[in-house]
Amino acid sequence: MATKGSNSIHRSSSRPLLDLSKAEIQGNVEEKYPTILLPNQSDDLSHLALDIGGSLIKLVYFSRHEDQSTNDKRMKILKDKLGILNGNRRSYPILGGRLHFVKFETNKINECLEFIYSKKLHCGGWESHHSDSTNDQNAVIKATGGGAFKFADLFKERLGISLDKEDEMDCLVAGANFLLKAIRHEAYTHMEGQKEFIQIDPNDLFPYLLVNIGSGVSMIKVDGNGKFERVSGTNVGGGTYWGLGRLLTNCSSFDELLELSQKGDNRTTDMLVGDIYGTDYPKIGLSASTIASSFGKATLENKELEEYRPEDISLSLLRMISYNIGQISYLNALRFGLKRIFFGGFFIRGHAYTMDAISFAVHFWSKGTAQAMFLRHEGFLGALGAFMSYEKHGLDDLMVHQFVERFPMGAPYTGGKIHGPPLRNLNEKASLENISWMEKFLQKGTEITAPVPMTPPGTTGLGGFEVPLSKGSTLRSDASALNVGVLHLIPTLEVFPLLVDPKMYEPNTVDLSDHSELEYWLTILSEHLPDLVDKAVASEGGTDDSKRRGDAFARAFSAHLARLMEEPAAYGKLGLANLLEMREECLREFQFVDAYRSIKQRENEASLAVLHDLLMELDSLDEETRLLTLIEGVLAANIFDWGSRACVDLYHKGTIIEIYRMSRNKMQRPWRVDDFDAFKERMLGSGDKKPLPHGRALLFVDNSGADIVLGMLPLARELLRRGTEVVLVGNSLPALNDVTAMELPDIVAEAAKHCDILRRAAESGGLLVDAMTNTLDGSKEKLPSVALMVVENGCGSPCIDFRQVSSELAAAAKDADLIILEGMGRSLHTNLYAQFKCDALKLAMVKNQRLAEKLVQGNIYDCVCKYEPAY
Amino acid sequence: MDPRRAETGKNSDQIQSGHVYHLALDIGGSLAKLVYFTKNDEHIVGSEKKKSPMKASGISNSSRNSPVLNGRLNFKKFETSKINDCLEFINSMKLHLGAISFQMIAMVMNAGCQQPESPGSQTITIKATGGGAYKYADLFKEKFRISLDKEDEMDCLVAGANFLLETIHQEAFTYMGNQKQFVWIDKNDLYPYLLVNIGSGVGMIKVEGDGKFERVSGTSIGGGTFWGLGKLLTKCKSFDELLDLSYRGNNRAVDMLVGDIYGGMDYSKIGLSSTTIASSFGRAISENKERDDYKPEDIARSLLRMISNNIGQISYLTALRFGLKRIFFGGFFIRRHPFTMDTLSVAVNFWSKGEAKAMFLQHEGFLGAVGAFMSSDKHGLKELLANQKVERPPSKLSFSLDQTQVPQQDGELNGDESIECSVYGA
Repeated sequence: MATKGSNSIHRSSSRPLLDLSKAEIQGNVEEKYPTILLPNQSDDLSHLALDIGGSLIKLVYFSRHEDQSTNDKRMKILKDKLGILNGNRRSYPILGGRLHFVKFETNKINECLEFIYSKKLHCGGWESHHSDSTNDQNAVIKATGGGAFKFADLFKERLGISLDKEDEMDCLVAGANFLLKAIRHEAYTHMEGQKEFIQIDPNDLFPYLLVNIGSGVSMIKVDGNGKFERVSGTNVGGGTYWGLGRLLTNCSSFDELLELSQKGDNRTTDMLVGDIYGTDYPKIGLSASTIASSFGKATLENKELEEYRPEDISLSLLRMISYNIGQISYLNALRFGLKRIFFGGFFIRGHAYTMDAISFAVHFWSKGTAQAMFLRHEGFLGALGAFMSYEKHGLDDLMVHQFVERFPMGAPYTGGKIHGPPLRNLNEKASLENISWMEKFLQKGTEITAPVPMTPPGTTGLGGFEVPLSKGSTLRSDASALNVGVLHLIPTLEVFPLLVDPKMYEPNTVDLSDHSELEYWLTILSEHLPDLVDKAVASEGGTDDSKRRGDAFARAFSAHLARLMEEPAAYGKLGLANLLEMREECLREFQFVDAYRSIKQRENEASLAVLHDLLMELDSLDEETRLLTLIEGVLAANIFDWGSRACVDLYHKGTIIEIYRMSRNKMQRPWRVDDFDAFKERMLGSGDKKPLPHGRALLFVDNSGADIVLGMLPLARELLRRGTEVVLVGNSLPALNDVTAMELPDIVAEAAKHCDILRRAAESGGLLVDAMTNTLDGSKEKLPSVALMVVENGCGSPCIDFRQVSSELAAAAKDADLIILEGMGRSLHTNLYAQFKCDALKLAMVKNQRLAEKLVQGNIYDCVCKYEPAY
Repeated sequence: MDPRRAETGKNSDQIQSGHVYHLALDIGGSLAKLVYFTKNDEHIVGSEKKKSPMKASGISNSSRNSPVLNGRLNFKKFETSKINDCLEFINSMKLHLGAISFQMIAMVMNAGCQQPESPGSQTITIKATGGGAYKYADLFKEKFRISLDKEDEMDCLVAGANFLLETIHQEAFTYMGNQKQFVWIDKNDLYPYLLVNIGSGVGMIKVEGDGKFERVSGTSIGGGTFWGLGKLLTKCKSFDELLDLSYRGNNRAVDMLVGDIYGGMDYSKIGLSSTTIASSFGRAISENKERDDYKPEDIARSLLRMISNNIGQISYLTALRFGLKRIFFGGFFIRRHPFTMDTLSVAVNFWSKGEAKAMFLQHEGFLGAVGAFMSSDKHGLKELLANQKVERPPSKLSFSLDQTQVPQQDGELNGDESIECSVYGA
């Protein structure tokens, strides 16, 4: 049975791993931000849409990743028990997969064509859905943007595909509507360099004003899907900035011009109110620094163009145009009674200064009543819209909870940059074959991530965190450009039905928009990295290959951290839960399937060995003492957490059982948060009144080893004994030493050998089907037990976001009247304040001093036992 | 009084005839504007025609004891950079002859010239507005012992516009496609209106009545932007030269038109014709062309259209926002330049889908100066005018716009005009 379990650990149900073979670093060695080519992706089928603009080509493509069938018997039983209709998992109208976003420069269209060819994106039009993808003929690809006309012949000739031209504005609006509806925290405001992500209720989105700043500016009033009107615009737009900028400075690129503006001082070119009146003009509410006349100062001086600094000219131009756009946009929003204004288009390009200028204008003219908003995916509105125009994309009804955005390893380097893969290298395989991509990655990494903290594996961490030196001479104009991740579409994800108010629900208890908080946690993760790398390498047997991957992982993850330190909003709204999940995803990207596998196994075995004695001890206690002892046991066993630095140190000092004993002995009520008496009353009642037992309890388990075996399983056993059905909720994918749903059946089966209650419940729950024949030794006289079941939670993170859980967990929750959340990740980092429609018990030992102070005003190793009756 | 008369004013060295009673100044960043009243002088002026209507009713209704004087309201402009010319002009006027309220001025002026009986130490005060009223205050004081009594710029602007619109018969006009058309405005149905003053920057003022107004909006893209950017991009030496250039240019060379994007087809779906400007200067991004490869005429044209169009649009949106039925454009940027007026009109017409029309004022450059003039009510002009029909002599004010397509002669300003009217003597 154990072997069966370990096999299944390797598979990932909904998120197939990347195939890293033949991966290459892009481009030549001089390049600053290389991307990584992964040529051997096993994308099932891909669908592509293009937005070919004057300067950039934007690609959106969808790669399908079929949910691998989970045909085990557990699922069958689960379906019966939980009332999941047969084939429910298959009946989703849409297929899981990923939406990718890629940009190319239009003048390098050949790279784009080769990219499409190498990825076989041209073979996967929706029409040829089930036919062989070898049939290249007559493939039709949706495209928008001016270039869709211009380059139509080129696409036909080179790739044999016809571009089906979609109206630009239709696409723009469809793209914006999709993003604002489906992506959480897509919109953000930008004031004085500060980004703030905004969640907009999809039911309260319309009508809004969409301002698209390209060469010119279009202002579109959007009333709904496909319902919109171009109500205004202005000819003073990005083209004006770049055109005038080119004439006035010697800049050779738009980006160069933008970059200049950051060092400019517009007082040398603009006539300010102070220049005219000597002071403020308070009568009309204008301060001395208000621009009275853009470039007006140039009229007063007899200076040649060459005597003005190009930086000043660029800034003056940028302000002139941004303010003007902001003003006209606000007036139009006002005119049509639109409550929100979203700005997009190439002029913005994530450029902080532009966004600030527009925000300032909207704020100024609206006297603070309106705010400019921006979209994280602004550059891809058209391409996404073109994608949406496929009849069968099936994305129409997608909900926010079905998307997970991930930032693959290249993300920190590519930032908002235009990138495409290094197609050149594809043809040079022979010469490059003996250099692994990993070595190249490391080689590149040294150049790229010089300012990034990088701890040599095997040493104890570095203290502190260095801010990358991005503000000096190497200032990038897009330093604040946001990264666009890959959108994983997981149609089986659902909102947890027991949340009291899903709209108000916020999983994270730690606000990372607080810079000191972010810095602290980034440092924690950075410090923990060497140990994690050790574990990961060891889990793969310490081979040379695994060492190289370990190094690469460390570098890639450090780069993520550095990127976030540089621009906290780079990956959108970031909670601690996302950060912790990113680490797990990053490990998986480097093919570390389960870094703590061997540790988990060893600890499970050690704990299972003493389980019998523990159960005997428990059975000798009276009901009340037993309940307290059980809760104490859970809290004590929660000390085993490889995610906590303090605990890792403990591990080095003693055996598991020693630590557990010590931890148990330290248990002393009252705990820092102590609702035990209320919980006991609900369980045992007071006096003669015996309350009805709960019908079904969901136990969200945390760590492997003592935590699950000596803590949660005995508690589960107690509930079962009292007639409560128990559903153990485990992670879908490994995260640190957390026990996964895949491992739980084996642990339960092993534990059942020592305990009749567990055995019968597990049989009833379908967890012991294979073993059933062995144990059917005439015990038929016993009544059928309530079931013990296992479901996966849908995540691969040490935390849980109840807005996005697996469909089987959602189904299991329907009849549940008790939830027990265990461990820091699920009950402190997240969900400490979450409110549920059923009774909820949150149990954790706080293994971090800062968190203890912040959340419970206590100290490290304090315990939390928080009980809340159903809301 | 008549066209011939006004001609004399062109030479700033020439002494203006008539008795100067009141004088007010508006000293802007580029131009200084004068408004002054001269009493009809029988010696110089053939007084045979226009005396009677002015005299007839003036005194009877008035509560004042002062006599009503008939004469003209004169307008004159100087470049601010040549402020000394302006001072000379003031000096050269026979301000003392018959002057009552400006007795002191007269004396000082005379002192500056030849007459010895000047008290010398006396400082006299005249109304002034505009930024230069602050900047040149010391100069006026030092040279002529004239103390400038500073009036708020916007107060003056509005007072001037209100006065002109209420009292001058053919003050407002529209201008579209080379057609100038005077608009008669019922003064009882004048308010509220939007006054767009295009100076270096642009102020947009909602006017609800005499002294009742609010600056509701504005934009920093104004005349200063046109002239500033134009100066940097072309070798023009003056604003007027730049304007002249723009008239000969073709903006297609630098602007990106809707047709450039959609391959010559109209993008009719959104109601844009192929010649609509999609992006001002959007074509100037070509990699193989430098600034010198573009004709200055084309650049000037494109600049003018960009700025006029933008002002027209923001003005319309602002008028819409406050429910104002009329938009009057004024300020030095317009300067009765037909192409500027045309662009503004087209913009307002375009954005309002034909529902609104841009209107202009005959005396647009003098709003501030007139307002400053009005701020000292010793002359009782307002009251008199309310009771009298003031006739506008056709003279230069009704100049044909077609003529102005010929460049103004060597940068000479066309601001020397007059309106016949009468005032109270002090």
